[in-house]
Amino acid sequence: MKALLLSTSLLGLTAGLLAAQGPRPNDLGASPQPIGEAGIAWYTTWDTAKAEAKRSNRPIFFMAAAATCSGISGVF
Amino acid sequence: MFSQKEFIGASRDFVCVRLESYESEEHQKMVRSFLNGRFENTAFCLLAPDAVTRLSGTGRGPAMGLRSGGRGARGPGGGKGSNDSVIEAMNTIAKKYRTKGKREEAVVQDFHSFRQGLNVASGDQRLFLYVVAPEKERRELRESLRVVLGDQEIVGRFHTDFAETREDAKWRDAVKGAQSKSSLYIIRADKFGQKGSVMASLAMEATSKEIKSALLKANAEFAKTEKRKVYSEHVSEGRREQVYFENGVAYGEDRDGDGEIDHRGGRGGAGRPGGGPRGRGRRGGPPRGPGGPPPGEGTPERPPGRPGGR
Repeated sequence: MKALLLSTSLLGLTAGLLAAQGPRPNDLGASPQPIGEAGIAWYTTWDTAKAEAKRSNRPIFFMAAAATCSGISGVF
Repeated sequence: MFSQKEFIGASRDFVCVRLESYESEEHQKMVRSFLNGRFENTAFCLLAPDAVTRLSGTGRGPAMGLRSGGRGARGPGGGKGSNDSVIEAMNTIAKKYRTKGKREEAVVQDFHSFRQGLNVASGDQRLFLYVVAPEKERRELRESLRVVLGDQEIVGRFHTDFAETREDAKWRDAVKGAQSKSSLYIIRADKFGQKGSVMASLAMEATSKEIKSALLKANAEFAKTEKRKVYSEHVSEGRREQVYFENGVAYGEDRDGDGEIDHRGGRGGAGRPGGGPRGRGRRGGPPRGPGGPPPGEGTPERPPGRPGGR
């Protein structure tokens, strides 16, 4: 019983750590969205985003992210 | 979440900006400003149109910033713990703002460098519209392209960039079918986003109708022939092939916020300065340059802290 509780705690801890660190490369699958379909219309410089927010009075959805994983490119 | 139709729909009421965390010191500073001084590879926040006032909490992603799940969840997401609550929170916030102007007049997207643009296009598996033209024509195209790129059939399907810096001039070395003349190039990035090929090119005098038609045609071809990446396999393949993308700052994270990139499995201390590759050798790519913004382009401001913010 103690072993079971310990295992459960460890699993919980691992899951918690993973959630805190974000997904690891092995957890990454494929986007379910068909290629060629419309996705998010991203701005990729802060200056253009600010200019568009000022023009349109739309709020800003800010993300910083990397299109690399451990230096390997072509990822999102 | 980002590929969910409802989320994409909700995102249209926002100006969505995605900065490359490792592109430059400026971007790194911005990430730190949202994460209480820590540097992690993702950061999130909703901001008012003034680009200063924070409308949500901050975190590594929308679920954290909008507190959409977990114990003690607070904030616009209300602790419902699902993508739906993030979307609901976004819709609630968006309703508070009356938008101005037409969607078709939106400012055109841009990147700090061709290298980043091509890599992001590869990661997102979208085609890349690259404008090569003298300064005057570029300025005019930034205006005239608004109608095309804001078109409902086009928006969210492409990435766009303008050749501006000396580094950008080397784009031809990375792209098969590239020419030296001024043109609007529709480029397909390769799987690791360091090379590409021209699918179509348009004369500077092309009409909006012609540009739209060429983009849609290329996109249809791309959709038929491009296979979705499974990112875990992609990363494994990249490791085997020793693919490496040099960025503006070292890879890694500073989770204790001491200003230094943490050691793997430890805290504090330096990461790999310059972000060098592991192992010997690396797969070739386009000419590498500093990842930071080009001269005169300005740098991201550091948004001030939000009272009571995370």
